[in-house]
Amino acid sequence: MIKAIIDNIKGLYSLLVGLSITGRFFFSPQKTVHYPRQVVDPEILSSYRGPLELVPGEKDPAQSRCICCQMCVRACPGHCLTVTKEAGSKAPAAYLYDFTYCCLCAACVESCPTGAIRFSHKVYLVADSRQALHLDLLADLKVRASAAPASESAAAEQTGT
Amino acid sequence: MDRFNFINPFGVRYQPDTVAGDFYTNNFAKKAESNTIILNLGPQHPSTHGVLRVIVELDGEYVLRAEPVLGYLHRMHEKMGEVKTPWQFLPNMGRVDYLHPIAWNWVHVGAVERLAGITVPERAEYLRVISCELNRVASHLMWWGAFVMDLGGVTPILYAFEEREKINDILQIVSGSRLTISYFRFGGVSADADDRFLRLTAEFVPYLRQRLKMYQALVTDNIILRRRLEKVGPIGVDMCQRYGATGPVLRAAGLNRDTRRDIPYSVYPKFDFNIPTGPVDDCLGRYLVRLAEIEASLSIIEQALESLPAGPILPPKAPKPTFKLPAGESYFAVEGARGQIGLHLISDGGKTPYRVKLRAPGFSNLSLFAEAARGTLLADAIAILGSLDLVIPEVDR
Amino acid sequence: MALSLVNFVVVIAAVLLIIGLMVVNAVIMVYAERKTAGFIQRRPGPYEVGPWGTVQAICDSMKLLGKQIFIPGNVDWILFFAAPVLAFFPVLLLFLPIPFGPYLTALKVDEGILLILAFAGFGVISNILAGWASNNKYGLLGAARAVSQSVAYEIPMIMALLGVIFLTGSMNLTQIVERQGAWPWQWNLAVQPLAFFIYVVSMVGETNRAPFDLPEAESELTAGFHTEYSGMGFALFFLSEYANMLLVCCVCATFFLGGWRGPFLDGFWWTFIKAYALMMFIVWIRWTFPRVRFDQLLNINWKWLLPLSILNLWITAVILKFVD
Repeated sequence: MIKAIIDNIKGLYSLLVGLSITGRFFFSPQKTVHYPRQVVDPEILSSYRGPLELVPGEKDPAQSRCICCQMCVRACPGHCLTVTKEAGSKAPAAYLYDFTYCCLCAACVESCPTGAIRFSHKVYLVADSRQALHLDLLADLKVRASAAPASESAAAEQTGT
Repeated sequence: MDRFNFINPFGVRYQPDTVAGDFYTNNFAKKAESNTIILNLGPQHPSTHGVLRVIVELDGEYVLRAEPVLGYLHRMHEKMGEVKTPWQFLPNMGRVDYLHPIAWNWVHVGAVERLAGITVPERAEYLRVISCELNRVASHLMWWGAFVMDLGGVTPILYAFEEREKINDILQIVSGSRLTISYFRFGGVSADADDRFLRLTAEFVPYLRQRLKMYQALVTDNIILRRRLEKVGPIGVDMCQRYGATGPVLRAAGLNRDTRRDIPYSVYPKFDFNIPTGPVDDCLGRYLVRLAEIEASLSIIEQALESLPAGPILPPKAPKPTFKLPAGESYFAVEGARGQIGLHLISDGGKTPYRVKLRAPGFSNLSLFAEAARGTLLADAIAILGSLDLVIPEVDR
Repeated sequence: MALSLVNFVVVIAAVLLIIGLMVVNAVIMVYAERKTAGFIQRRPGPYEVGPWGTVQAICDSMKLLGKQIFIPGNVDWILFFAAPVLAFFPVLLLFLPIPFGPYLTALKVDEGILLILAFAGFGVISNILAGWASNNKYGLLGAARAVSQSVAYEIPMIMALLGVIFLTGSMNLTQIVERQGAWPWQWNLAVQPLAFFIYVVSMVGETNRAPFDLPEAESELTAGFHTEYSGMGFALFFLSEYANMLLVCCVCATFFLGGWRGPFLDGFWWTFIKAYALMMFIVWIRWTFPRVRFDQLLNINWKWLLPLSILNLWITAVILKFVD
């Protein structure tokens, strides 16, 4: 009986300890990143896997390294890649990528013999329809090549866009 | 309530029998005693953490019977294992248990390696251990927060998320993902640890130890929480063995079984780590065992970081995504955050495995809920459900 | 007391003012509670609507007003609609005898506290009606919990208040305030600390706030007795919950913390400062502790608070006898 009373008084003390902890956190700085006004540390985003993108060619940044071997298409668990070949050459005529099916597993990236694809770091990618996530990677490569001619380093800026 | 059969002023005629139970409820109700309530907890219910459904028969606040209904998140992972090549099945493993995906990575990779006879470089083994233990800590932290939230304390889960975010940041460096991680490859891991990974991990260990003291003061020592958990839902060794429960549930019951030590795999035998067992087999015991496991995992991480060898992360002839499994079968088991995870792989030498069987610890742990919850209060039943640490995608597979 | 025409007009005006107070109180408290929860959990809380999210609570109430009132199948719709109204209107009456300031008392009655305690019981009826009429098992369980909890916690609450009434020799709230001084050591808190403690605990229990929020225990009963309510039905429950909180805190301020009397300058602001400080304390408790179990809740009441309050009453009586 007396032991129970002492236990309960000790219990009340534990409640005070809890209150003091939450009270201290009340006055400590917040951890939230207010997204539109602040962004997450770019160092963290540098390893983020966004949708796939083609690696610019060494000579011509608008030209892909892809040789249409179809390894990525066969390796993909979600069947989200479609690569068609240009008649008479090894260059791709179309490199279509359905981001809605992609599970970002890197099977394609690791199976590619020429290292033609990689993950982008587009964290803030938004789309208002499914169609907008059916990406044409060749067109995307051309856009990037014209935006930042002959520079691979522009890829780093992708993070913020 | 069949006396309310009338036209209400809003013009809708309600029939008393329009709301009838489905097959499970009706079947469950057949054995109901008189003057009891059949209550559906779930599939959408705040404390079932996902789409678990539990039908309970209540006498006032007391649970007379309880019956979990599964399958609301059945995603055919085992069948997908049969129609996909082993490499294509790899990203599935991160989706089976979203809280401890790396253990599931490991079990699949390990089964394939055992079947195909692939040896793993030492550095890759160490990285596997570090990432798996980090992930285990993240899983336990998430459980800790969710469990206290089941008991009505909303704040701790947000503190746990702070640490979990740090772990996610660390794991993202090597794996590229934050939740459904697919880091392991047949023969090794997908990316080598850079300096930032090692630095952040080394910084994280003492930081979490510091925070665990706060957890202790805020939650573990709290009299309300203690009184909620003490002597609630005892699950003894006998019950665990009958239902095949493993992991912290079994260890809290007092049986010191851990796959990492009993069926050694990888480089775990090189580490000296404590396997906590509960002094009591109630909810508090399971709670304390899990918190102690966080400490044990931290000590493994520390040891692994100290003795991390240099070298390659993939063997010279690592399997390409298109490789074929040799005919035969293999079984591989690892210790997940929830218990023993197993994968039985049978291959007939074709492109895809003949059969993949996943052994999910959550399924066995959940199956003892019906017996453990009998005769408890509804609030206690919720506490027992929380203390089993269920991840519904894993239970339903 | 004869209810003259002047009195009648004063009471009507007071009721209108109290409706305004209830709405403003709910808006302030929703904002304060969400901000407090946010700061404790190291996040900003409401932030986007208005400067620092100040307009958030008003927007939320607009949303609740605009929402469809959904009636589930097979409900007893008369009781279903009566319940939120019943939860709301008794609270209006309860504020009448509270002396907010020296001259700011709507109804100066000798048995003020008796009136409050008598009408406070109506809240339970609304809860049980809501739970019963909404034809929902969670609602029914919540209602059953609400009844036994409210009935249980009223008793130590009254016992704690009786200690002060013994000291003052009056049930008139104005007299109770006037008997206390301006400084904290002149308040009843200094002579009745145990009663204050008992009152604060049973106050949290009486208003169904965490850690005693069992009638609406989210992780067990989803939302308890107001599971099926949406739109204005839910808003009225919400309003009356916060109004009840303010009421018990005002009573506590009046009985134990000197009411409108405070250091430097007496006035109604002291009542509000004390009441809102107590309310913030209740909010703080809610975001810190887990919930107790139902049998523990009743054990705390019957095995601890009730004997302690009787002990307190007995000691007060004995001391008063000898002092006299």
